Amino acid sequence: MFSSTDVGTRPARLDRDRGLVEAARRDPACFDALYRKYLAQVYSYAFYELRDHHAAEDATERVFMQALTGLPRFEERADSFIRAGGVAGAAPEFPLDASTFRVWLFRIARNVVANERRRDRRRPVAPLEDAGGIAASDDICESAAAREAGNAAWQAVARLPEDRRRAVVLRFVDEMSTAEIAEVLGRSEGAVRVLLHRALRSVAADLRGRLS
Amino acid sequence: MVGGSSRDARRTERYLDGLMEAAERGAVEAPMDLDLDPAILLAARELRAGLVRVHPSFRFEEGLAARLAHTAGRARVVRNDRPATAAAPSVTPFRLSGVAAPAAPAATRDSFVAPAAPRRLSLAARPSRPLVVGGVGVASAAISIGAVYVAWRWSRASQSPMVRAVRAGRSGRASAFGHGRRAAVLHGILGVMS
Repeated sequence: MFSSTDVGTRPARLDRDRGLVEAARRDPACFDALYRKYLAQVYSYAFYELRDHHAAEDATERVFMQALTGLPRFEERADSFIRAGGVAGAAPEFPLDASTFRVWLFRIARNVVANERRRDRRRPVAPLEDAGGIAASDDICESAAAREAGNAAWQAVARLPEDRRRAVVLRFVDEMSTAEIAEVLGRSEGAVRVLLHRALRSVAADLRGRLS
Repeated sequence: MVGGSSRDARRTERYLDGLMEAAERGAVEAPMDLDLDPAILLAARELRAGLVRVHPSFRFEEGLAARLAHTAGRARVVRNDRPATAAAPSVTPFRLSGVAAPAAPAATRDSFVAPAAPRRLSLAARPSRPLVVGGVGVASAAISIGAVYVAWRWSRASQSPMVRAVRAGRSGRASAFGHGRRAAVLHGILGVMS
């Protein structure tokens, strides 16, 4: 699906969720498709941020309720993803399959999670080790290796500063592009790029220390 | 230094993009830049393997789906009601004396009810309450309201000292005038008698 409003010579691809969003606007019962599509992503984000299954469930519920009631106010903004695309010879800096609905949903998620964290600041945070058992597999060795890798990754990510951790989770768990993460976090793409790079260097140093 | 850091960050981003695309294709290895720091490469692979997407329980998923469906149903009802009460025109039948009002079908948002053909009414079948139509009615209502307002204002003691002074002066003049007239009449009568 391409828009007729091109920037430079490149056609801008519109929101890949446009059909689902329009259907949900016509009939709110159709929101179920969007819910099923993004449930795991939103839940994962909430879980990695809040580190508690129940808190993540509460946050996920709030996110989707707010998204459902706020859907008539959602506006697709393809222009926010079309940056520097008009510069001749420049690499496209906008993802061709950018989903502005997803960005909007994750902005809601970010706000909900931030509120949840603010409210539960006094409550001690549970360790991240719980997530080691998520990757279920029939092969015991594979499962154990995955669990160990997961634990190491968890612990490395848990030690990161908040903004780097958030960027890493959006990149690796929710598989967002730099542009999408920038939109969700309200930062520039360059800032997100550097955040991720520094986060990986920190994780690398952490893993190296663990191995030695 | 900043330029070098930015270049490294772009290199890392390209590698991460390749890693994601390889995973989507089901490929084991992602194309990598030879200038990329091996430590970054290792960290990216560890995170890719370790940070898995978490799925909530089936029970939670279905429960939330039901709650969302309930909310969506209510939103749909509200949306269907709104145009029927606010936007769509409605026809209110006159109550006719002696003539049974035809049973009107229940109006729905999508249904269109054709207006009934006008019927000639007999005198007996005319509306029992006369209607004041248009500008005449508005004018008579405005005059009535104005008269009521003036009466109310006159009956109410004003708080303004100026208004009170003017009223007192006017009433004084009137009483003085009345007193003078009465005296002249008395003088006239006494004069006639004497």
